[in-house]
Amino acid sequence: MAAVKALNPKAEVARAQAALAVNISAARGLQDVLRSNLGPKGTMKMLVSGAGDIKLTKDGNVLLHEMQIQHPTASLIAKVATAQDDITGDGTTSNVLIIGELLKQADLYISEGLHPRIIAEGFEAAKDKALEVLEEVKVTKEMDRETLINVARTSLRTKVHAELADLLTEAVVDAVLAIKKPNEPIDLYMVEIMEMRHKTESDTQLIRGLVLDHGARHPDMKKRVEDAYILTCNVSLEYEKTEVNSGFFYKSADEREKLVKAERKFIEERVQKIIALKNKVCADNGKGFVVINQKGEEKYTYIEKCGNPRSVTLLIKGPNKHTLTQIKDAVRDGLRAVKNAIEDGSVIAGAGAFEVAVADALVKHKPKVKGRAQLGVQAFADALLIIPKVLAQNSGYDPQETLVKLQTEFKESGQLIGVELSTGVYL
Amino acid sequence: MSGLCREVVTLQLGHYSGFVGTHWWNLQDASLCYDPDLPPGELQSDVLFREGLTLGGQVTYTPRLIAFDLKGSLQTLRKEGSLYATEQDSKTTLSWQGQIMTHEESPPSKNSFLQDLDKLDQGELLVEPDFSSSPALVPHCSGGAFAIETVNSTLERVQKAYRLEGIVRVWSDFLRLHLHPRTISVINQYNHDGESARLEAFGQGEALLQGSVLEELEDRLHFFVEECDYLQGFQVLCDVADGFSGLGSKVTELLQDSYGGRGILTWGVAPVSHRDSSPIKELYHMMNCALGTVHMANHSSFFCPLTLGGGLGRRPAPPTSFPLLSYDSSLWYHSSSVLALALDTMTVSYRLRHNSTPMWQLADALTVSGRKVVCAYGSVPFPMMQSSCLPDALQACQDALPWKPLSACPELVDGRCFGQSVTLKGLEGQNLVSPLVPGTEPPSPLHCAWSGLEVLDMYIRSHYPSTPLAVQLVSSPSKLTSPFPQIFSPILDPQGLIQSQSPTTAPVVSSVPVLTCVQSSVAVGQLLAELQKSCSSLDLRRVAPSFLSQGLEPAELAESLEQLRSLAYRYRDDSGGTLRSSSEEEDD
Repeated sequence: MAAVKALNPKAEVARAQAALAVNISAARGLQDVLRSNLGPKGTMKMLVSGAGDIKLTKDGNVLLHEMQIQHPTASLIAKVATAQDDITGDGTTSNVLIIGELLKQADLYISEGLHPRIIAEGFEAAKDKALEVLEEVKVTKEMDRETLINVARTSLRTKVHAELADLLTEAVVDAVLAIKKPNEPIDLYMVEIMEMRHKTESDTQLIRGLVLDHGARHPDMKKRVEDAYILTCNVSLEYEKTEVNSGFFYKSADEREKLVKAERKFIEERVQKIIALKNKVCADNGKGFVVINQKGEEKYTYIEKCGNPRSVTLLIKGPNKHTLTQIKDAVRDGLRAVKNAIEDGSVIAGAGAFEVAVADALVKHKPKVKGRAQLGVQAFADALLIIPKVLAQNSGYDPQETLVKLQTEFKESGQLIGVELSTGVYL
Repeated sequence: MSGLCREVVTLQLGHYSGFVGTHWWNLQDASLCYDPDLPPGELQSDVLFREGLTLGGQVTYTPRLIAFDLKGSLQTLRKEGSLYATEQDSKTTLSWQGQIMTHEESPPSKNSFLQDLDKLDQGELLVEPDFSSSPALVPHCSGGAFAIETVNSTLERVQKAYRLEGIVRVWSDFLRLHLHPRTISVINQYNHDGESARLEAFGQGEALLQGSVLEELEDRLHFFVEECDYLQGFQVLCDVADGFSGLGSKVTELLQDSYGGRGILTWGVAPVSHRDSSPIKELYHMMNCALGTVHMANHSSFFCPLTLGGGLGRRPAPPTSFPLLSYDSSLWYHSSSVLALALDTMTVSYRLRHNSTPMWQLADALTVSGRKVVCAYGSVPFPMMQSSCLPDALQACQDALPWKPLSACPELVDGRCFGQSVTLKGLEGQNLVSPLVPGTEPPSPLHCAWSGLEVLDMYIRSHYPSTPLAVQLVSSPSKLTSPFPQIFSPILDPQGLIQSQSPTTAPVVSSVPVLTCVQSSVAVGQLLAELQKSCSSLDLRRVAPSFLSQGLEPAELAESLEQLRSLAYRYRDDSGGTLRSSSEEEDD
């Protein structure tokens, strides 16, 4: 039968319908795991390993990576989520949900005899139309701080609790604005994210400067310096081996001592030069101040109040490792969201509004598609609606009812309508 | 310069490396001395360990180690360990007000050894009711009036024979000490076991070092390196048979780029056999070994394969056997213990408290002319009768050297040896020289030597007359406490010496003398040449195309094998004008 069994007798083989069923069930399995994550009212997942390691997350990508996925199709979907994360930085949960739903809808038609290839054609056509709708519906506007705050807040509120999200929102937006250079793509590496164990997370802050994760080398070093000059050098002040293969042979303890002294002298001369430079330069005024902070093993050096900070640091504080990781993940996603907003220059309404609009447009567009591929378009449209449905469900409202309300409102007003999660009423 | 501590950062990449590493750290831990009254040992533990401070102000002493392993490989071990845990780390401190769904994995069962360690940590009593003070991991204690009860001494006293052979699944199952929270890094992209997403090919490993994995490595390197005053270098233990060989290649490249002046000693470890192996997997193992060897050799100060298997190819010779050991070569728990014991001896020269040779010197001496691959041999344990003396013991070996291959590289029969470093560790309290009886002729020149070092030196030179040689003699032995497996011949006494009469019950061996040699010779060239030939003769596109699909281009592969060939060529002995004839002359 299958040649693969010759290579691996334990391989499981499925064909045609069975294979398709296997793939679809994998996708739906993943969908079930992740659906409760979606949106600010989604459930946070706490993963406790057998050994007691705790991870707190709502990020779809993180969850998928923590799980041990053995099914090859599920593994593939997880890779899609990773790609989504690499390119956009967020939206992995939505991604997995849509994939699951696309397959589920397709399954309905396939079980009636429709060939998968035709559905795929329908999907392609629907995708093109959906992109067109996106272009029409998006709002191009000036990315002022207010707008960016909204974008960031949306992302952050799905990852940490509301108060913390609001605190982080400002920090995140200011961080990106601080490093943004005109006419150049935003380099998020310029935003350093440092973690610090602290009693509460509400002291997380943006530092316009750097926080280095090492401290004083010598107990006599000053703990606080203002108006400091900072020397960055790429010359080593340590004993190093030679570039060329060399050896030192000595016959007596004296000769060895001489080597040691010579090595020391070489380094001392370097240090003297640095001291001379310092004396020359620090006669005048400088900028910035340096503070050194130490707690247990973790030592920090703050370099703040720099004249023109080209890079900033987001100092994340939290009581334990899993909180720190949770906040760090959220901040990363928030930064990506803000960056994307600035670079795209446009936003759209959230809360499932876009999906409702596209679904409607696709249904209208259907007749223009030839043949049975129309069914594929329908499937695509229905699949997208999973987003507003799940959002409603996670907030505790009836998904069908909410969806019907949304679609009616949209038809009547022509404006984008999304799910208002606190009240279930549409906005 | 004594008093100067040249620190070493250790990296463990892969699961078998974890096995070797765990035995290694257990051995180091067993030799730690907390008693301030005793004179400091010959080996400086600060080279490998670092002192730290928890948030609660407790002093800790943990390995300066970064270990990478795959998702699902930790089982009972918490990723961040429990040494630095605070109450804040519990499940109750959270920053989310909405609903939380907890997915809790059922804890895998801890074996009896781990359970006892847990009990000790909590200050509970272990079996014997009469010891009073609670064990501590504090290295500097106040007042030496009473003996400090440590985890080691407790385990020794309890003398439980933990038969862990059938129970050990992963390396944390027999790890004795606490690791620093920044030590372990789990790679989530691949699974430790199961059917899918396995790290099996060199190309996969290479592709791993980017994004979050790279960031984690850089962070941890930064952390451990920053606090060193005189970092001498890195010792890297890397699995060469699976995809970790690719990761090792990239990691050593990173180390070489960022810390170029330091020594990078890479030990490529491979188990004798893998569970559920298949012909295709064997092929992968061989390819990974070849590629890992040539790339890691390129980026390191030296590269030494370490395995008890008979060879690195697809149909290797039977595994190495030692006359005084009986071990199960298929058990990773056993084979890794022998390698760790040998490694403890081989690495002595750069860990000595006085007159140590920094890593790069050791490497430079052995890797002249770009011969970066070296091979190791070991006599585990070194055969010596009770109340005998070193010259007698060496003479008893007659013409053969007492050591066996540890690098799948057969003993050099004839041919040139370019350099070697020999170390004998563990003959504390034994006679290193022969007592000279006036009036009788000494049996051999060895018996006339004045010091143990001279004896050893003379002996080696008699076998390798014109080879540059470095010899080290360290008296304190490697201490074997639980859970080191009892794989020793019953005729050995607790110090690892051969008894004159066989005892009725096999005693528990608690320390052994070990003799090792790290060598650069023509034999290494033969090993490399054979490996290269076996790999080049395969048509990978037909036989194992999936190996190439993991990011490795066929052109790159061909180039790497070509580099391996040139590397093998460097070991040819062209001295005296006559080229050694060998079958590789006629290839391609």
